[in-house]
Amino acid sequence: MKRLLTGCTFTKLSCAPHTTISNSVEYQAGALGINIAPEAISDQDDYCFEFKTPDTSPISSKIQGWADNSGYGATELLVQAASGLMSVHGRASGQAQALGLNYVSILASTLALQGALAAAIGQLRGLRVAHSQVSMAGAALLATGQYLAGATVSEAPEAILPGCTSPSDRPPFISADGIIFELETLSADPWLRFWSELGISSETAGKGWTGFLLRYAKAISPVPSIMVEKLAALEYQAIAKLCAATNVAICPVRSLDERMSDDDAAQMLEQGPWRYTSHSSSSSHVVPIKQVSNELPLSGLTVIESCRRIQGPLAGHLLALLGAEVIRLEPPGGDPLRGMPPMAGEVSARFDALNRLKTIVEINIKSTAGQREIKSLVEQADVFLHNWAPGKASALNLNDTDLARINPSLVYAYAGGWGADESGSNAHDALPGTDFIAQAHSGIAREIATASDTRGGSLFTVLDILGGVIAAQGVTAALLHRCMSNRGVRMDSSLLGAATLLSTDKLHQRDASSSNSINKSPIAAVYHTQQGALAVECRNQEEAVRMAEMLGLTWTQGDEAFPHQLQKALLAKTAAQWLEAFEQAAIPAAVVVEDLTEVQHNPHLQPELTTGAYTQVRSPWFFQ
Amino acid sequence: MQITVDIPTILRPLTNNQKRLEISAVDVREAIEQVEQQYPGVKERLVTDDQVHRFVNIYVNDDDIRFSHGLGTKLTTGDSVTILPAVAGG
Repeated sequence: MKRLLTGCTFTKLSCAPHTTISNSVEYQAGALGINIAPEAISDQDDYCFEFKTPDTSPISSKIQGWADNSGYGATELLVQAASGLMSVHGRASGQAQALGLNYVSILASTLALQGALAAAIGQLRGLRVAHSQVSMAGAALLATGQYLAGATVSEAPEAILPGCTSPSDRPPFISADGIIFELETLSADPWLRFWSELGISSETAGKGWTGFLLRYAKAISPVPSIMVEKLAALEYQAIAKLCAATNVAICPVRSLDERMSDDDAAQMLEQGPWRYTSHSSSSSHVVPIKQVSNELPLSGLTVIESCRRIQGPLAGHLLALLGAEVIRLEPPGGDPLRGMPPMAGEVSARFDALNRLKTIVEINIKSTAGQREIKSLVEQADVFLHNWAPGKASALNLNDTDLARINPSLVYAYAGGWGADESGSNAHDALPGTDFIAQAHSGIAREIATASDTRGGSLFTVLDILGGVIAAQGVTAALLHRCMSNRGVRMDSSLLGAATLLSTDKLHQRDASSSNSINKSPIAAVYHTQQGALAVECRNQEEAVRMAEMLGLTWTQGDEAFPHQLQKALLAKTAAQWLEAFEQAAIPAAVVVEDLTEVQHNPHLQPELTTGAYTQVRSPWFFQ
Repeated sequence: MQITVDIPTILRPLTNNQKRLEISAVDVREAIEQVEQQYPGVKERLVTDDQVHRFVNIYVNDDDIRFSHGLGTKLTTGDSVTILPAVAGG
């Protein structure tokens, strides 16, 4: 179908100082078909843009750095440090350290554009809203929210610190011929068969499985070193053969260049991380726009969600935070993840962090009666969102054609692994669509590995989180399209799409001829102090000179001795003491959080947090 | 064999909110039967047709019984049986 939001207009009002954010918002807006108007730059510290549909007044949108209004300098590096992202990534990578991606910036860009689209929906529904706002801090906390939940419950909280597991005795593995690869299986039996064939004892394989099973939840996956050594003695082809025989998936950790040479890569880059298709029943169906007043942009709209784990539930959670009533379908007896420790009272804290705003309906989707019940719910719904395995929707007679027949104005959304819910011709279609396989296949794991000096990607669920945000954003764009055209659509998003969105940033950096290339800060690094680590980023020469003066040093561009001098000087005080001094001098810095319970004490983050049975992350959006 | 069974929060409504039970059993299968006798309803949440549910993990001390002898995994005095609901993936 033609681009989704043709006829809408985007105008950049300010870009300082976040070039990555500016590039990403514009790329996403362009991919949705929004007309990019000439810039109307005004003198503002934060990144701002204006969004307009043919039938709404302009909506001004802003991305600020920290969540408070202090105006203190915030950058990708500093927000990753303060929000706990470095800490979570550091659990399996040896130490608290940056992901090596402009992750928070791209997450914030996606949320900002979604906020603007939601505000336009609100206007079209009678809401007086002219401004939407997000922060990089809010975006980062959304990413660490589940880990924060697990660390802050009162009963048996998780206390998993950076460097607590070996960065080498974990997946991905390396073969004798030097190929780094991920393994994946969702059940214990194939894992046991695979390792038994290699001569690993059941007991040892079981110890490896205990960590592997929960790696997406805990961001660690310690495996006994003998398992790593066993694979390191075999060539990749032999391991792949064994995988095929034991039903374990294998995927090499590829480079971004390898990913970009895939048949589907160029198209995905051009279309953006979503794919929209018109429902096959082309009959025009006038959808009365549901009016709303004094509420949130999506209040009064109904989303039916049938999703497990992280990506899909996060998408539903974000739509709930925008006001939608989300009806979550769970199997009889409830989602088993409800009982997965650590617990906040009767429910898993991690589960609650993504599902606390939803109404639960238990349905056996495999039964005829269950499918009838789903169709009955869909009749009155605005969105149907699922993340079932490829092919399952058709097998259950619940694909987009089935449901659009009942409700032609439905937005049918699939938040999957690879971008199609039927098996296709791409090599990845046969791979399980989990975060770690998607990181490996997409080139993102290699990017993280290079920055982190590890073998592979992060055990923080990089793509599940961004994928969930993209899915919610894609649904919001589809709802806006429906408001403007009276037509429902199908929206597919994926972990691979999320990886591609992250890669666009890297491609901008590699393109030397691009006028949008990323400005490098003169100083941006993590330093040891007397106690704790401090992330410091001087965004320009003026800040670098001022910082040097404050420390009794002299900074000149290209002085190779300066980082060493700076490191030596910073050993004189603790990270907390330095932060106070840096804040007073208005030089951007942040303490690198190791213990996640410290996050809630940071005044720059507190506006996004609510303390209770566990520390909850609030809605990333502010509307006015 | 005197052993302890740690009951996950989600099953505590069935065990009068008991977090830990002390029982006597020779293997995991018998341990579950013993808990079932005291607190009916627990077994069906863990086992069907002598198979542990896919999303239920049972550990004897720190060892997953799927990698030992399943429900037939032997217990010795002082062992601790832990039930952990968990789903693989990511």
